[in-house]
Amino acid sequence: MCDFCKTLNPAAAMMDFFSLLGLAERFDIDPEELRRKYLALSRHAHPDYHVNDNADVRNLHLQVSASLNEAYQTLRDPASRAAYLLERLGGKSSEADKSVPDGFLDTMMMMQEDVQDAVEASDAAELARLREVLQTQHDGLMRGVAELFAQHQQAVICQAVTAGLLEEIRQQLNAVSYVKKLIDLTR
Amino acid sequence: MDEIILGIDLGTTNSLAAVFGPGGPEIITDASGEALVPSVIAFSPEGSSQKITVGCDARDRAVENPLSTVYSVKRLVGKTVDDVRDDLAVLPYAIVAGPKNLACVNIDGKLYSPQELSTLILSEIRSRAELALGQEISRAVITVPAYFDDAQRQATRQAGQGAGLNVLRIVNEPTAAALAYGLDRKDDATIAVYDFGGGTFDISLLRVCDGVFQVLATNGDTRLGGDDLDREIINLVTSEIRQRFGQTLSFPPATRQALRSLAEALKIRLSTEDAAEIAIDLGGGKSFERTITRQQFESLIGPWVEHTIEHCTRALDDAGLGPADIDEVVMVGGSTRIPLVRQRVAEVFSREPYTAIDPDRVVAMGAAIQAGILAGASRETLLLDVTPLSLGIETLGGAMGKLIMRNSTIPCSAGETFTTSVDGQTSVDINVLQGERELAGDCRELGRFQLRNIPPMPAGAPRVQVKFTIDANGILNVSARELRSGREAAVQISPAYGLTKNEIDTMVKDSVVHAMADMTSHQLIDVRNEVARVLGAIDKALANAGDVLTGPQRDALDEAVTACQAKLETCQDPDELYAAMKAANDAAMPLTQAQMDAVLSKTLQGRAVEDLGPQISSE
Repeated sequence: MCDFCKTLNPAAAMMDFFSLLGLAERFDIDPEELRRKYLALSRHAHPDYHVNDNADVRNLHLQVSASLNEAYQTLRDPASRAAYLLERLGGKSSEADKSVPDGFLDTMMMMQEDVQDAVEASDAAELARLREVLQTQHDGLMRGVAELFAQHQQAVICQAVTAGLLEEIRQQLNAVSYVKKLIDLTR
Repeated sequence: MDEIILGIDLGTTNSLAAVFGPGGPEIITDASGEALVPSVIAFSPEGSSQKITVGCDARDRAVENPLSTVYSVKRLVGKTVDDVRDDLAVLPYAIVAGPKNLACVNIDGKLYSPQELSTLILSEIRSRAELALGQEISRAVITVPAYFDDAQRQATRQAGQGAGLNVLRIVNEPTAAALAYGLDRKDDATIAVYDFGGGTFDISLLRVCDGVFQVLATNGDTRLGGDDLDREIINLVTSEIRQRFGQTLSFPPATRQALRSLAEALKIRLSTEDAAEIAIDLGGGKSFERTITRQQFESLIGPWVEHTIEHCTRALDDAGLGPADIDEVVMVGGSTRIPLVRQRVAEVFSREPYTAIDPDRVVAMGAAIQAGILAGASRETLLLDVTPLSLGIETLGGAMGKLIMRNSTIPCSAGETFTTSVDGQTSVDINVLQGERELAGDCRELGRFQLRNIPPMPAGAPRVQVKFTIDANGILNVSARELRSGREAAVQISPAYGLTKNEIDTMVKDSVVHAMADMTSHQLIDVRNEVARVLGAIDKALANAGDVLTGPQRDALDEAVTACQAKLETCQDPDELYAAMKAANDAAMPLTQAQMDAVLSKTLQGRAVEDLGPQISSE
């Protein structure tokens, strides 16, 4: 968005989500600031304000508005923000690296059995208890992710350290998505 | 004078319009002060042509002319005859299969599509507004149920165009209601809009703050409304009449129409009284009388009300909210006048629902506010709505691969890269779906998109980037580009639910070049390639996991594959060949499901769920 001519930059639809929303590229963002910026930009870009413009302008607003919505949706959720940032920093995707932290699978296999038993028995109280346990685990993993990103920022000049940190973040995030799937099963 | 944009609530039972005036939304009324126009159309012969009446007069003559009086058209919009089976027994007029099996109404041998009938209602609304405002109107905002799918939205827009209206925006009804209610709010609040109308039910959850109306989640059923409650009463009465006068007693259309009017009147009376009487003259000296208590009525409609509550729970889950997070519940639609409905909603959300604005008028007022936004009156109000249904494409064996999740803020877009599987192949077929189910057959098919003009290259070399964009109306647009050559690929659409050439033109972006339509032989080659690819994929799947099939499943698959192979060599008709391929693909479904299950169970052993993505024709 240009302050001078009040028109949209066609390149906006191609920008990375942090730049698009005018945020520093880091995991630790202020959710209120994110929402504020998203809404302010949406007020410029939303197609509703441009129905009387020509087809090119309308299409540009449609595309930029769609990008803003995708950016907001990606950055608002901590896990998807972490996954997005990880790949921006050169980390591997979940397809390329499916490993999880040591010992995680053993715990999860046991949890999964408990969840399956409770689902089969339609035991609502047990499912609620398991959900709480899993949620605690999820929150712990995400705190770990936040800590690792903070370390990454401090160690940014040392590639040996950052490469290791990115791998660790990948493993934590893989674990987060497993835990999330189990949480879904308890619903 | 600026040209007016009309806000129209096109309802199942009643329709009405409003405009955005200097003091806010103003409902348009006729000379006698009446705002509601019954969504009823009557056809009567006049000389050699048909005279068409819309509104009160049409409704009042419904019992005299049961076969040529059409109402509840909204329930038929964008639906096939099979979709509306439940209504066939109750509606006195004739619903028949039109082109593509779409539900159409037969009046004296002439077929009318639901959008043509909606056009008649919209024309009436338009001319009333022109009379009331003393100026011509050519632009409008039309509301639809939030849970309307792409086909239903397209059909509504088309109906508006038919009535000479440039439909600037399709707005969701609960969102419109929130706009009408939320005008003065400055604080941050989460509101639930419970919209139970004549034919449809929606629940929308919104965050409202400082002029921003952000929809968090929506859920509903486009075929759950007051009509279904009436039908419960009709079914009760007809079964009792048959018990008394014989099971074979048939109900002529005039009696069915009379029953329906009685049921509706009964429902309305039971909203204020504890009991009401019903009396019907069956002719031939037979008559039926009965008293129905509110308690009896409530036990009849209870299951329907519970369905609406289930949708509320789903919307809350999707938004990650609990009932306690909702600051206010707003009631919209005529069916929210029923005490049981209010009581259940109050119980679920632990608060009295808010009913300050007439539930029949609030949606039209919201449409007028949206019209004001579009007219550029202000940027203070920002409406961020969502798409109610996930959008995806069909993958091998008929699975649904989701690209855009339900409740994504619109506009939104998703890209997917497709490639070819045969050397020199110049087109790829994509089947676009809308819905939440795992299998394509359970989802709503939007249409087949054929990517054409792909430069001939070795198999797997082309990379066709397809962009699916859902605009602010909730309507899909598709464009495509071949990345290696940089060439635009043409997208040819064969819509599943009857779109006109005009609409296809709108859907296909300016950047996309239309392919020639007269290429049957070309099509045949492409379908053949597709068949070869599918058969190859089935072979491979059989080799990997053939043992999961039961005997009969294996037989059915073998038979379908053999039939398809035979057609591959001899068949000259692309549609017929495609049908054979689809049959083989369908028969392979258990195999695909088994493979999916295997992938799912491996998920916890170190596999990513992304493996479940499109397995065919995409990378």
